[in-house]
Amino acid sequence: MHRHGYRLFVMLWLLVSSVGLATPGHAQDADALRRELETLRRQFSSVTQAYEERLKALSVRVEQLEASRVTALPATAPSAAAASSAAAAPVATTTAIAAPPVAPAAPPARPGSPAPPAPVAVAAVASAAPASESPSVGEMLTPRQPFALSTPGRVLLFDIGVSGDFVADLTSAKAERLQLGTFPGQENRFFPREVTLSLFGRVDPYASAVVRISAGEETSTNQPSSRDLNVNLDEANVTLLTLPLGTTARFGLMRPRFGTLNTVHQDDLPQVDRPDVLTQFFGPEELDGESGLEAFWVLPLPNYNELSLGVFNGDNEVAFGRGSLRDPLVMGRWRTFFELDDLGGLQLDFSAASGVTSDNLRNTVVGLGAKYKWMGSGSGLPIFTLAGEAIAGFRHLTAAEAGANGDRHVDRWGGYLYGQYDFDRRWATGLRGDWTQLPTASGHEWAISPYLQFKPSEFLRFRVQYKHTEGTGSVERSVNEVLLQGSFILGAHPTERF
Amino acid sequence: MGRRRAPLVRALIAGTLLVMAAVPSASAPAPERLRVLTTLPDLWSITRAIVGDLGEVQVATRPGQNPHDLEIRPSQILLVKRAEILVRNGLDEDAWIDPVIESSGNPRLLRGSASVIEAVRGLAVLKIRTGAVDRSLGDVHPSGNPHFTLDPGTAPVVTANIVAGLSRLRPDLAEQLESNRQRFLDDLAAAARRWNETLAPYRGAPVVSYHDSWPYFYRAFGLDELGIIEDRPGVPPSPQHLASLIRQMRERRVKVVLVESWYATDTPAAVARAAGARVLVVPQSPGATKGTDTYIGHLDTLVTMLARALSE
Repeated sequence: MHRHGYRLFVMLWLLVSSVGLATPGHAQDADALRRELETLRRQFSSVTQAYEERLKALSVRVEQLEASRVTALPATAPSAAAASSAAAAPVATTTAIAAPPVAPAAPPARPGSPAPPAPVAVAAVASAAPASESPSVGEMLTPRQPFALSTPGRVLLFDIGVSGDFVADLTSAKAERLQLGTFPGQENRFFPREVTLSLFGRVDPYASAVVRISAGEETSTNQPSSRDLNVNLDEANVTLLTLPLGTTARFGLMRPRFGTLNTVHQDDLPQVDRPDVLTQFFGPEELDGESGLEAFWVLPLPNYNELSLGVFNGDNEVAFGRGSLRDPLVMGRWRTFFELDDLGGLQLDFSAASGVTSDNLRNTVVGLGAKYKWMGSGSGLPIFTLAGEAIAGFRHLTAAEAGANGDRHVDRWGGYLYGQYDFDRRWATGLRGDWTQLPTASGHEWAISPYLQFKPSEFLRFRVQYKHTEGTGSVERSVNEVLLQGSFILGAHPTERF
Repeated sequence: MGRRRAPLVRALIAGTLLVMAAVPSASAPAPERLRVLTTLPDLWSITRAIVGDLGEVQVATRPGQNPHDLEIRPSQILLVKRAEILVRNGLDEDAWIDPVIESSGNPRLLRGSASVIEAVRGLAVLKIRTGAVDRSLGDVHPSGNPHFTLDPGTAPVVTANIVAGLSRLRPDLAEQLESNRQRFLDDLAAAARRWNETLAPYRGAPVVSYHDSWPYFYRAFGLDELGIIEDRPGVPPSPQHLASLIRQMRERRVKVVLVESWYATDTPAAVARAAGARVLVVPQSPGATKGTDTYIGHLDTLVTMLARALSE
């Protein structure tokens, strides 16, 4: 009886409960829940919309900033279109060298089952108008925001390189005593000819800069025992990259564009020493370290034609020592190049420089250069190079320089020719011949220099060069030398040029 | 007097009409064609497939030329000068183009500009060096291995980058570029199925190469990179390394040593001979040998040559 009563109570409770659930009051609760759910959905939707609008606004802001700074960032985002595609995925999942390949952030398709091609949103693309690359005058004058993205000290914004060039000049005791060698005062010595610290890179979207500081051993010709390690600022110039009409210009302290080999830095020379004609006409420091402004153009012609024009102080002690813009050193060069396909490449250049000497007398030097290079197909080896340059000077002399005949104007010239054969990436051999008159004094000299080069890598080089020199007139000499050279490059180094 | 002038007037009118007929009408200028420059032959072949007849695509290096030993030639400066868009690898392999651009007077192609397309964007780069990176490791690529186009699976991303970049500058061509891209990817998918079938029997096969050019290719076709002869890029290998490699090659019965056509085969041949393998000289970039001008043609050649060598 008691058990039956309990069952009846449970059944009645379930009945009442089930009926009760179906009452209007519970229906009202469900509606309230639905309304609450709907409200939440609306809130969620509005929040999402707000976030989307905010994201869009930020994207527009980023695009505006990028457009205003054009090239400030090191890498270009694919575009607004690609941002919606797989291409916009972050680059480079870092993988340790020994580790197996890591699945990409945006997995590329496997062969045979390629991923669906990422669609390119045409509408979005159309809205992303290209920014003007050459800034207008107004843009250049408008103050810009500082570069807040860089973190000085943590991100290296420019390249640093050190090149070292060590030379030994082995010759006879007589040549040493009379300082008749290629490096006067340093005969039978192993010396640091030049150790250069190079800093180069982009200043901002509109300019790049280079600074070179070199140290080298110098000997006083009057006191051979006096040797100093001198530190010089060789170059410090800024190149303006976005000038109108395709002009590129640089200003500051620079190695000007004159001739073929004068523009080549010490550590990139094809032989241990510079050709005699360059040393005679411009001195041991060559035509380097000139301060001024230089502009150059690649002309819009079917073939390569480059024209450069520079105005400098004229600080070269041997050729143009006036050192004032009242009588500036004006220099120009025309260079052309012919790509001969399987037959190689040929470069021709014609240069002219006119300035005033330290004695306030006019000096004009012109140069004509040619360089031909043939490279084997495929590996690019072997390489055969044939190059030469002729320099002529038209100079007024002082009364003391004029000598007995009293001729106060001289026309002198000289030149060199060399051929080099690169057997492979490591070994090369060559031969250079020099002949030159002296720019002011009477006499001439010639030299012949066979050499052998060994490059264990692109950044380390050894050379041995024999040089026989015969001079007449005021350079009366007959010298045999063995020049040894070891040079290295540490860190960054600009790509080798033709 | 007037009669005397008549022939002269008629001649002037006829001459003017002739000149007007010869000179294209200024009122209806022809749409400007795209002028694209690519740094490397692989990007040239891919970009050419996308651009089609919408423009001109040129390459700054000769096909078959080793981009690691490149020197700047004035002719490259001229190519840069004329181009309006540059497609570059985006890693270190074509960093030599930067000084070329700076010498060209064409600021549109300076790194970071809107006219510069970096093909690598969005790809997972393999073999990024970790830890201290210096030249004791050879002429390394600190940003990672740049030869990603040797994996056809990267093509969707690479082509998307190229189309996006080109369309950004020429929105009027966007649809046609995308259409060309789809056609290229369809052809590539069909070719990739064929390549997979060809190399399926050799999945897991150990392969040795002279230079570290092939990790993406190995990944694409399931091959096993047993080792690299040139263990430090740009530096001849040491005898110890070669001895160790030869021992491993014998143990794993390596059949093929891959050598790019621009490298000398002396050392690879000696290693292959000692290990009982054979040297397979292959074009590493499109256009290096006859019949490999297109991207698909180039990979066709690579897969066919490798399959034949592995089957022997």
